[in-house]
Amino acid sequence: MTQEFSAVGLSSARRDSSEKAGGAAKFADDYSVPGMLYGAILGSPIASGRIKSIDLTEAKTVPGVVSILTADDLPDRRVGSFIKDEVTLARGYVRFVGEPVAAVAAETKEAADLAAQLIIVDFEDLPSVCSLDEALAEDAPLVHPGQDDYVRTSETPTNGNIFWSASILEGNPDAVWDSCDVIVEDTYETPGQYHAYMEPCSALAEPDLAGRITVRSTAQSIFYIQGRISDELDIPMSNIRCVAPKIGGGFGGKNGVSVQPIAVALARASGRPVKITLSRSQDMEMLRSRHPTRIRMRTGAKKDGTLVAREAELWFDAGAYTDESPAVLSFGMLCSRGPYNCPNISVKGHAVYTNKLKAGSFRGFGNPQATFASESQLDALAVKLNMDPIELRRKNAMKAGDHWLGGQTVDSCAMTQCLDALDERLKEEVSALPPAEEGWQRGVGVSGLSHISGLMGTSAFVNLRADGTVALQTGVVDIGQGSDTVLPQICAETLRLPLESIAYAAQDTDSSPYNWKTAASRITYTAGRAVMQATVEMRERILRDAADMLECSKDDLELDIGGTVRVVGADRKVSFREIAARAFNRVGGPIVGQHAFAFDGPRFDPKRAAMSNFAFDNLGVYVFGAVGVVVDVDTVTGKTIVQKVWSAHDIGRAINPQSVEGQVQGAVVQGVGYALLEELVWENGRLTNPSFMDYKIPDGMDAPSEITVMLIEEAPEATGPFGAKGIGEAPIVGVAPAIANAVFNATGARLTRIPMTSERVLNGILSL
Amino acid sequence: MGPGMTFSEPETLDEVCSLLSKDPEARCLAGGASLVAMMNAGLLAPTQLISLRKIPDLGAITSMPDGSVKIGAMARHNDVAAFSGFLGAQRIISAAACRIGHPAIRNMGTIGGSICHADPSADYPTAITAADAVVSILGSEGARQVAARDFFVDWLETTLEQGEIAVSVTIPPDPSNASVHYEKFTRADGDFATVSVAACLGMSDGVVQTFRVVVGGVAEKPVRSPEDEAVFIGRPLKDSDIVEFSAALEALCNPIDDMRGSADYRLKLMPRLISRALKRAQADQLVSDSGETA
Ligand SMILES: Cc1cc2nc3c(=O)[nH]c(=O)nc-3n(C[C@H](O)[C@H](O)[C@H](O)COP(=O)(O)OP(=O)(O)OC[C@H]3O[C@@H](n4cnc5c(N)ncnc54)[C@H](O)[C@@H]3O)c2cc1C
Repeated sequence: MTQEFSAVGLSSARRDSSEKAGGAAKFADDYSVPGMLYGAILGSPIASGRIKSIDLTEAKTVPGVVSILTADDLPDRRVGSFIKDEVTLARGYVRFVGEPVAAVAAETKEAADLAAQLIIVDFEDLPSVCSLDEALAEDAPLVHPGQDDYVRTSETPTNGNIFWSASILEGNPDAVWDSCDVIVEDTYETPGQYHAYMEPCSALAEPDLAGRITVRSTAQSIFYIQGRISDELDIPMSNIRCVAPKIGGGFGGKNGVSVQPIAVALARASGRPVKITLSRSQDMEMLRSRHPTRIRMRTGAKKDGTLVAREAELWFDAGAYTDESPAVLSFGMLCSRGPYNCPNISVKGHAVYTNKLKAGSFRGFGNPQATFASESQLDALAVKLNMDPIELRRKNAMKAGDHWLGGQTVDSCAMTQCLDALDERLKEEVSALPPAEEGWQRGVGVSGLSHISGLMGTSAFVNLRADGTVALQTGVVDIGQGSDTVLPQICAETLRLPLESIAYAAQDTDSSPYNWKTAASRITYTAGRAVMQATVEMRERILRDAADMLECSKDDLELDIGGTVRVVGADRKVSFREIAARAFNRVGGPIVGQHAFAFDGPRFDPKRAAMSNFAFDNLGVYVFGAVGVVVDVDTVTGKTIVQKVWSAHDIGRAINPQSVEGQVQGAVVQGVGYALLEELVWENGRLTNPSFMDYKIPDGMDAPSEITVMLIEEAPEATGPFGAKGIGEAPIVGVAPAIANAVFNATGARLTRIPMTSERVLNGILSL
Repeated sequence: MGPGMTFSEPETLDEVCSLLSKDPEARCLAGGASLVAMMNAGLLAPTQLISLRKIPDLGAITSMPDGSVKIGAMARHNDVAAFSGFLGAQRIISAAACRIGHPAIRNMGTIGGSICHADPSADYPTAITAADAVVSILGSEGARQVAARDFFVDWLETTLEQGEIAVSVTIPPDPSNASVHYEKFTRADGDFATVSVAACLGMSDGVVQTFRVVVGGVAEKPVRSPEDEAVFIGRPLKDSDIVEFSAALEALCNPIDDMRGSADYRLKLMPRLISRALKRAQADQLVSDSGETA
C-alpha cells in the first residue's frame, strides 16, 4: 500500500526559479543604497615578507576617497576556529600573494581601485615555501615562526610548517601484511581547485545611527559571519545583523568569511554604507581553494578480494592560514577506508602551512582526495586479482550495522544496492553505445563513494496562520542547492498540506532561529529534522485542539491532504482555519512549534579505534553510492572525453527528486573538471591562472553528454525527515577515481595525479 | 574606460587612418572581443577607440571574377564560417572560422581584428597563411598588399605601421581543388589552440599537386616552410615524408610553456596532429576523386 503524499517526493519547481530565470532575484552586488561608498582591497604583491611601512599620502589625494584602513586602524586580534592565526588586514607580515593589506572606501569604484593601487607598501622580502615539498624540506623557512604562541582549540603537536597532525588506528596492519596475497602501493597527488561559483564574493555593510550594522553578503551562514565579524572587530553580536540575499553558488567557498569584516570596518570608519565586490581574479587570489594533497597509500587483500589491511599517510597543503584545515584533514582521514570493511587500518595526516592562499572547505571536504587514492587503489587490486572491479567492491561493501572507520555504527546503508544498480546499467548500456571515433580508445571505470549528512546544531520555528496556512522559519541560507523549496516541502508533508500553503522567511540573524552552516550535505537531513520536529510539535497541538472541538480522542484523528483533521472512518472534520480561529482568539493562543538540536548520532568508539587529534567527534548519517563512467581517450593527443556517467545514490528518500538529480549532475560535472582540467598553478608564489581564460572549468560541450542518476530509496534513514539523507557532496567524491580507472581501462596507463590533463595522459601512454 | 579616453565612429577609411596616424595610443575597435578584454584586464589603456562599425561594406564577403574570395576586415567569424563560395583550398578559411571560441565570440569577432591582434594561438593566422592569402592594407601614406606569410611578425605584432589598418583579406583560387583539414587541439571547449594545424592537400593520379601545412601555437607566428612542402609535389603521399617534414618544421618552432600546455607537449603534439590532418585531408581527396570518376 502506498501512502499518498502532499509534498514530499514531488519534484516541485524551485520556489525561486521564476525570479532567477527572469533576472529579478537580487544577489549581494545587486543591492545599492543611498550614500553608499565602494570598497577596494590592496592585496599583497609578494608571497612572504615583513611590512616595513605603509605610505598612504598619494592614495589620500585621489578625489572621492573617504577612508583608508590598515591593520593599525583595527583591533589587534587574531582569530580562527581551530588556531587563532588570522587577521583582518595583514599585521606586520604578509604570507601569500593577494593577502589583504589595506582597504579603501571611496565615492566611486574607480576612485577606490585607483587609491588602493597608489598605497605604497615597503616590504622586506622573506623566503617563501609554495609547495608541500618546499614546506616540508629540512630547514624550510617557516610560514608562521610564532605559531607556538597562537591560541589553539587543541594541543596538537607541530613540526616546522606542519601545524596539525592526527592519527587513527584500528587493528594492527603491521602484523598482517605478510598474510596478504596481494598488496598495492602508490602515491597520489591532487590539485588546488577553485570553487568557481558564478557569483564572486561581495558584501554590503550599512551602519545605522543607533550603532548597529546590517551586512548583506555572499555567505553560507548568516550566523557564522555574524560571529566572525564580532570576533575580528570586537563588536557585540547584538550590534551586527546579517541577512541573506540570493547566493550564486558556494560549494564551500562561502563557508568562511570573505570581505565582510573589511566592509564593516570601512563602514564604521566612514559612517556610510560600503559595498565591496571582488573581481574574478581577486576572488581567485584572495579567498580559498580545495586543499592540494599528497597521499601515500598501501592496501593488502586476500586472493578472494577480501581487504585485510590499509595504511595511509595524507599531507594537506593548507596555504597560509589554518582556516578549516584541521577539520578537512580529519574528514579526509576518516574517509580513507571508504565504504568498505577492512579490519586493519592505520591513517596518519598532516596539515601544512605554505605561502599560498588558504585552502578550506570545498564540496567533499577532504573526501574526494582520499577517495581518489582509495578507489584508484581498489582498481589496481582488482586488476592484480583479475577480478571484476564491481565484484571486488561488493565483496567488501559495508552493510547496515557495520562500523565506520573510528567505530561509529552505520544504521542505514544501501551500498550493495548501489553497486548492484550500477552493475546492471553498465551491463545493459555500455555495449549499446556507439563506438569510439577512429584513433580513440574506450574505457569503463567505476568507483564507490560515501559521505555524511548529519552535523552540528540547527533549529526551526513554525506557526499556523489564521487561514490555516503556515509560516516556517529556519536560519538556513539557500546557496542554490534548493533548501528554500525542500525545507518547506518537509513542513508541508508533516501537515499533509500542499507546498503552496507554506510561507518561508528569508534569513536574518535578528529573527531567524540559529543554524550552523549550509555545508557538509547537512541541510536536508539535519535542518530537515528540525523542521519536521517543529512541525510535529505544531501538529500535536492542532490534533489536541481538533480533538477538543470534535469531542473525541486525539488518537481517533487523522489528517487529510489540504488542511483538515477528520475522525477516522467518520464524516466529522474540522479545518486548520477553524482550529486557528479558535486558538488565536479564545482557547490556548496561537499555534506554534519549535525544535532545536545538535547532531546526536553515534560517537567514535575508543574500544575499536585509537584516534588522536581529530578536529571533531560528532558527525554521521553516512550516505553511500557508486559511479561508473565511459571515457574515450584520443591516443594521438591524450585528450580524454567522458561520454557517459551513471551515478547511483543511497539517498534514504528523495524529498524532491528533480532537485536531487540536479545536485548529482552538477557535482558530476564539477568532478569531471577536477579529474581532467582544473588546477590552480603557482609559480614563484604567484597564482599563474587567476581567470577563466587560463583556469578552465568544463562547459556544456565538455560535460558528459549524459548523466544518468539512480536514486536508491531502499534504506530510509530512521532518524531522517521521511527517511531522507544528504546529497550535496557525495556525487563529486567518486568521479575522479572512476575516470582515472576508465583511463587505465582504455589505455593501460595508471594516472596517480589529477587533473589528468591531455598532456599527462599522453605522457602516461607514451611511457608504457 | 580610462580617464579621458575618447570614442569615435568615422564613416570613411581615410578618416580612420588619419586619426590613427596622429595618435600612437589610439586603437581601432572591431568586434572588441580581444581589445576590450585586454582593457578590462588592465593590459592596455588606449587614448582613443575608433570604431570601424560605420564604415560601409567593410564586412562584405565577395567571390571575385578570377575565383578569389575577398573578405572584408569587419566580416564576423560566423559569416565567414557560413560562406559557401569557398572552393578547394579556400575552404581552410571556413574550416578554421567555425572552430573559433564559442558562438557568442563568433558573432562578435572579425577577421580583421583577429589577424591584427596576431595571437599565434588564434585560428585565422594559421588558416590564412595556409590559404596563401593576401592582406590589403590602407594607411595615410597609401595602400599596400602583403602576403599572409609576411603579415605576422612576432607575438601580437604585425607588419602594420602606425596609421595603417587592414581592409580585407583575399583568398586566391585553387585550381587543384585541394581537400582541407583544420585540426585544432584545445584543453577545453571554446579555448584557443594549444596547437593547430591547417592542411591543404590536392592529389591527382595518386600524386600530390598541392601541399600546404601550417602550424599554430608553436612559435611567435604561424610556422610554415615552403621549401619542405615542395618535396611532396609530384610524388605519392608517404608516411616517411610526413615524418621528415614534421621534423623539419620542428626546427622552426619556438614554443612556450603556458596554461594550455608545456613547450614539450606542443612539440609532441605537432607531428601527431600533422599526420592526423593529412590523413583526414587525404581521405576527403579519395572521396572526391571517386565521386568524380563515378
Ligand atoms: C572567450 C574568447 C574566446 C576566444 N577564442 C578564440 C579562439 O578559439 N580562436 C581564435 O582565433 N580567437 C579566439 N578569440 C579571439 C576572437 O576571435 C577575437 O574576435 C579576435 O581575436 C579579435 O577580433 P575582434 O574583431 O574582436 O577585434 P578587436 O578586439 O576589436 O581588436 C583586436 C585588435 O586588432 C585591432 N584591429 C581590429 N581591427 C583592425 C583592422 N581592421 N585593422 C587594424 N587593426 C585592427 C584592434 O585595434 C585591436 O588591437 C576568443 C576571444 C574570446 C573573448
